[in-house]
Amino acid sequence: MLEQIKDWIERLRAGTTGGPDREHLPTPKTAGDQRLSECRLIVLDLETTGLNAAKDEVIAIGAVAIRKNAIVMDDQFDLILRRPELDISETVLIHGIGPEALTRGHETEDALLHLLEWMNGDPILAYHSAFDQKFLEKALKQTLGYTQPHTWIDVAEMLPAFFPDAQTGGHGLDNWADFFGLEVSARHHAAADAMATAELTLAVINKAKKNDVITLKDLNGKLKYYRQLKNMHRHS
Amino acid sequence: MTAVPQDSERPQNTRAIMTFLREHSPFSNMDDSHLAHFAEHASLRFFADGDVVLSPEDGPVRRFYIVKQGRIRGERSRDKDGETQTTFEISQGECFPLAALIGERPTRTLHRASGDTFCLSIEHDTFVKLFSQSDPFRDFCLRGVSSLLDQVNQRIQTGAMASMGSSNSLDTPLERYAIRNPIVCSPDLPVRKAVARMHENNVGSIVITDDGRHPTGIFTLRDLRTMVAEEKGPLDTPIGQVMTRNPCCLTAQADAFEAAMLMAEHHFAHICVVDDEKRLIGMVSERDLFSLQRVDLVNLARTIGTASHLRTLVSLRTDVSRLVDSMLAHGADSGQVVKIITTLNDVTVRRVLELNIKKNDPGIPFTWLTFGSEGRQEQTLLTDQDNGILFETPEGMTEDQVREKLLPFAETVNKELAECGFTLCKGNIMASNPKLCLSGREWDEWFIRFIDASTPQNLVYSSIFLDMRSVFGPREPLEELLDKVLSRIRKNALFQKMLAGNAIQRKPPLTMFRNFRYVEDDGKKHNLDLKRQGLAPFVEAVRVFALANGVGEANTLERMRKLAEKGVFDPKDANAWQEAYSLIQAIRMRAHQEMLERDEPLSNYIDPDDLNPLDRRILRESFRQAQRLQQKLEVTYQL
Repeated sequence: MLEQIKDWIERLRAGTTGGPDREHLPTPKTAGDQRLSECRLIVLDLETTGLNAAKDEVIAIGAVAIRKNAIVMDDQFDLILRRPELDISETVLIHGIGPEALTRGHETEDALLHLLEWMNGDPILAYHSAFDQKFLEKALKQTLGYTQPHTWIDVAEMLPAFFPDAQTGGHGLDNWADFFGLEVSARHHAAADAMATAELTLAVINKAKKNDVITLKDLNGKLKYYRQLKNMHRHS
Repeated sequence: MTAVPQDSERPQNTRAIMTFLREHSPFSNMDDSHLAHFAEHASLRFFADGDVVLSPEDGPVRRFYIVKQGRIRGERSRDKDGETQTTFEISQGECFPLAALIGERPTRTLHRASGDTFCLSIEHDTFVKLFSQSDPFRDFCLRGVSSLLDQVNQRIQTGAMASMGSSNSLDTPLERYAIRNPIVCSPDLPVRKAVARMHENNVGSIVITDDGRHPTGIFTLRDLRTMVAEEKGPLDTPIGQVMTRNPCCLTAQADAFEAAMLMAEHHFAHICVVDDEKRLIGMVSERDLFSLQRVDLVNLARTIGTASHLRTLVSLRTDVSRLVDSMLAHGADSGQVVKIITTLNDVTVRRVLELNIKKNDPGIPFTWLTFGSEGRQEQTLLTDQDNGILFETPEGMTEDQVREKLLPFAETVNKELAECGFTLCKGNIMASNPKLCLSGREWDEWFIRFIDASTPQNLVYSSIFLDMRSVFGPREPLEELLDKVLSRIRKNALFQKMLAGNAIQRKPPLTMFRNFRYVEDDGKKHNLDLKRQGLAPFVEAVRVFALANGVGEANTLERMRKLAEKGVFDPKDANAWQEAYSLIQAIRMRAHQEMLERDEPLSNYIDPDDLNPLDRRILRESFRQAQRLQQKLEVTYQL
């Protein structure tokens, strides 16, 4: 995969291509009978200029792929977008992406096209996925006019669903990372956070199999059940 | 500002893995490019507490793992109660499974996660690439494996020690043997007085030294007996006139084995121990060496060497077998036993020749050559005759006339050797074959044809004719011939390459899955040919390297030692290969002894199922080393 990205960047530099073909982007897959232990899952994390999807923008995309219960390092996505016009003064201290890096980043349009192609329509997992989903869908719509809905799964929801007794002391990525003793190499770096999220996902998939949750459909069912349970507790 | 563009940098997660790797051996010593290759091709896996990571049932291991976080424990179930036992623990930064991966076989230990565990892993092809490209990585992986072999060896030795009930082995340096202060005298002392001195001190020998305490001769009670019986002179003869001159000397660092071999070869019962300036410091007798092991090597060699009739020689062969038996039982090293057998065989061959010359001297100076395993000094009890004659053509005679005289003589010798247990060579590689009874000039031409016009058929004979040695007669003619042959081979890259190609034909008997590959043998038992499948790959590969690098020795272990000295072999590799070769040889000889006990004909076939698990393991590891050696050949000659 890295080789492909490099090739693609080379081609971009040479100006011979406009990037992936907009007409033939992969179709998003729905959660069906794909087995969790077999299918490819995208684990994604975005760094943004702020928390408000209405006015803030995506500045970095980090993602890894899980195949057959393993995070495969030759199948990852790690890009900073070129957006020199953006005001990053508020968040530069968190993600460490300064103006200089942004000017060196990639054209947003190409980066997003390439992301879509790389994701291949596979289900996207993220920690508090609603946040990433909102930002990514907005960016895709604004930049490419792309509106096809991907399957999103929230890792922050899966973890307590499968580890109900875990004493994490909180609901954040850091809490769960601590609970599993993970070392996050560079917190608030999109790719490193995606990696930590993917590691937690491996633990979930492991547990899911033992609970007879085999397919993506099973997983959705389990999460739905968990949401209902949570709502019942809230209302009782 | 010339900042490195961000896109050409490695992704954050790849860098993070490299950082993790750098904190652990062997990765801390590896090049960045190799680490990057590792990181880019790695996968991360999760195992919950108690999950099985690797199991013997999974088939050959295809993945190399490093614990990133958590712990792995090795489990083996005890056969009897079915209970499991933790055999090892692997923690953060440690790698597994080395031996199984390199051996391309299933793991023998169940690997289970102990606590929630993450492991980085690479697939077999990436492993192979790194293994071939990164020296620190390869060293690390091989050390892991050979330390296994070390363990196995230690257990063998402990076993042997226990059965010997004594720490005295033939490897013991002479200085550790009780060296009595030897009784000495000057050469002008009358024999009568010297014998009186021996009597006072209750010893059987006296060393005659010069003013600098350098031994110049030795006189023993046996010499006295001969002197009296053959009336060589009166008892007041100065001892210098009747002593045996130039006594055998060894330094104190030499080991008992060397002393024993020297005694066996020259039929001496005493050896002087000297310091670096050749001054006498002690004395070792046959009895000192063998009092504990009761191995009557020297006496046996002497009896063979002085036998006056073929009948005696034939009957002595059973003693040779008995001797080998007792040495093996005492845990002697297989290399030593093979050398002893070769020495005794040499003594027998020499005696047969001497007796025949006495009876019917052909009157032509000649050197008796041996080829093949006898040439390599690697004979076991099961041995063929492979011999030839190198003669000097006397003035006024043609080579054919010489042959007319020598061939009938050689035929008798071949026949008598057969009676002594050296099976006649089916391929007629014997001195009585006119094609192998040649003058120095003819032999040289013979080798020119062999080397320069090599054909696949020729190469079949390389294992015979390129391993030769003189057993009887002057050595110089053979040395001259060998010099020429070696320099010719060194110059002939094509011949070397053909030899190398031939040497890798015989693969060690392991399947792709590291099980034993058996020889088809009428559906009988599971058969392994220890000689052709086990030893031959070593012998043949080592021969190519030896000949290509001007090593004149014929013995495989010696060749390996020389090749390590010359830097052709890595010393660690050479050690592992010598070890592996000796271990296969040891198992083969033990099998021979057992066949003799059961009165079965000797064969080189064994059924690994008959071996104990330890020996089976040794065999597998040894065959694996043979594969490595063949790989070196393939790389060197780009086969």
